[in-house]
Amino acid sequence: MSGADWLSYSLQDFVMFGPQVFLRLFVRINQDLWPWQLLAVVIAIFIPVLISRQNRAARRLAVGLMSLAWIVSGYGFLVGYFGPINWPAAWFGWAFVAQGALLAAAVFSGGVHDSRLAIGRLAVLWLLAVCVLPWLAMADSGQWEAVGLFGVAPGTTAAAGALALALVTRTWRWVYLPLLVLWSLFSAALLWVLQTWWLLVTPVATLLLVGAGFWLSPRTAQSPD
Amino acid sequence: MANQITRRKFLISSGLAGIALKAPMLFANTSGSTALSPTMRRIPGTDESIPAIGMGTWITFNVGGDEQLITQRTEVLKTFFELGGTVVDGSPMYGSAADVMGEALNALDGHDRIFAATKIWTGDESATRAEAARSSRRWGVDRFDLLQVHNLLGWQGHLETLKQMRANGEVRYIGITTSHGRRHREFAQIMEREPLDFVQLTYNVLDREVEDRLLPLAQERGIGVIVNRPFQGGSLFRRFQSEPLPDWAGEAGVGNWAEFFLKYIISHPAVTCAIPATSKVEHMKENMGAMYGTLPDASQRQRMAGYVRSL
Repeated sequence: MSGADWLSYSLQDFVMFGPQVFLRLFVRINQDLWPWQLLAVVIAIFIPVLISRQNRAARRLAVGLMSLAWIVSGYGFLVGYFGPINWPAAWFGWAFVAQGALLAAAVFSGGVHDSRLAIGRLAVLWLLAVCVLPWLAMADSGQWEAVGLFGVAPGTTAAAGALALALVTRTWRWVYLPLLVLWSLFSAALLWVLQTWWLLVTPVATLLLVGAGFWLSPRTAQSPD
Repeated sequence: MANQITRRKFLISSGLAGIALKAPMLFANTSGSTALSPTMRRIPGTDESIPAIGMGTWITFNVGGDEQLITQRTEVLKTFFELGGTVVDGSPMYGSAADVMGEALNALDGHDRIFAATKIWTGDESATRAEAARSSRRWGVDRFDLLQVHNLLGWQGHLETLKQMRANGEVRYIGITTSHGRRHREFAQIMEREPLDFVQLTYNVLDREVEDRLLPLAQERGIGVIVNRPFQGGSLFRRFQSEPLPDWAGEAGVGNWAEFFLKYIISHPAVTCAIPATSKVEHMKENMGAMYGTLPDASQRQRMAGYVRSL
């Protein structure tokens, strides 16, 4: 195909499903998971409690739980539900699983630091992400069953998970970053085409939280590596 | 005196009852009714005719494993069959649409009612048969009625194989596709020299470039024409649905905007079939309404295009 041919394509041409089908993914996974997503809610609330304890073991457990959330939302939502209608979503699903494995590796190889953090700010941002973002899918679909919980919905998981940037050491931070950015760009383009305007807040929030993750991370001098 | 029902009376009354039952169909509104014969179009070079309105599956049938939506799409297909449709077009590019079509066909036992058309969509020009076989399994059909090279992707290799497959009876008809007005010059060159049964291209009341070259060429070469994006991906409705139909719409056999857009297309003498896609039963009924009643003549077609431009 010539360059002119490629230019004649729009983003819409690459999205082979409609907003109804996409929003139903949230409803379907919530229906199929019930009541296990309640555990995800408990974990989402428990993570800032762990971080606030300012000790390495608790912080490692928090990052470990984030790792689990990446894996579950990637394999569950993206590979299992979204992948059949959108093959790039399946690829992202496996990338989410790899991201989860990466965080797990950080936990077990000293990649989680114990430097002092602005815990209050981190906790507020975390709670904003896991408490506000889940309702956006509901706002777009009009169905409360579409709630996009941390650990279930990839958008909320990535947004809150961006704050792990503040918890891992510098090397791990840079390895952890690319998927956050790629996912945000991909999902923003997708949600723009689908015209799910409320949900479009999620990738924007993710990028802001990436910035916050770096901002809240300890200075290089304090970082163990 | 007691009423006696004789055999003669019974037959007369049965006949009248039958007419009474049929009457609403016979005298129904001609603009959108299903009472009249559907508009059929002969496939050039054959004695076979197909209904002038078919069904596309782009976006609409890609619902994954969502049982609720699969049931809804099955209802859409059922309505399509009930209103006289047969031509269904898909592509491996459309995600899970082929699997959903297979499920819907199974549920409706519709494999014998369908003119199954799909595409070869792979850059690997040696994979034509493998992809056709994969699509056959997904649709649950023994063979496709029509296989088309999707958007000319690897068309040289695929077309050679498709010609062999047609000769062997592995497929009945072969063709090529384009959309959005892309690569029309190359498309015309292929039409000029290859023995195609069908081409698929974009044509609607706003996108009329094909009227200049491709549609006359198809007539000249005896190639059937399947029209995609008849509603410009739905944007025609978004732009014009709030506008009134012209006063003379009834004279052109048009009762709603769906009929306006579709009748404009299928009234072109080169067009064999238009394939609108929908996920709603009500919209399917409107679409299929375009296959019934009168079609606009050449001057009315000009007025239709002019009217839309004026809005």
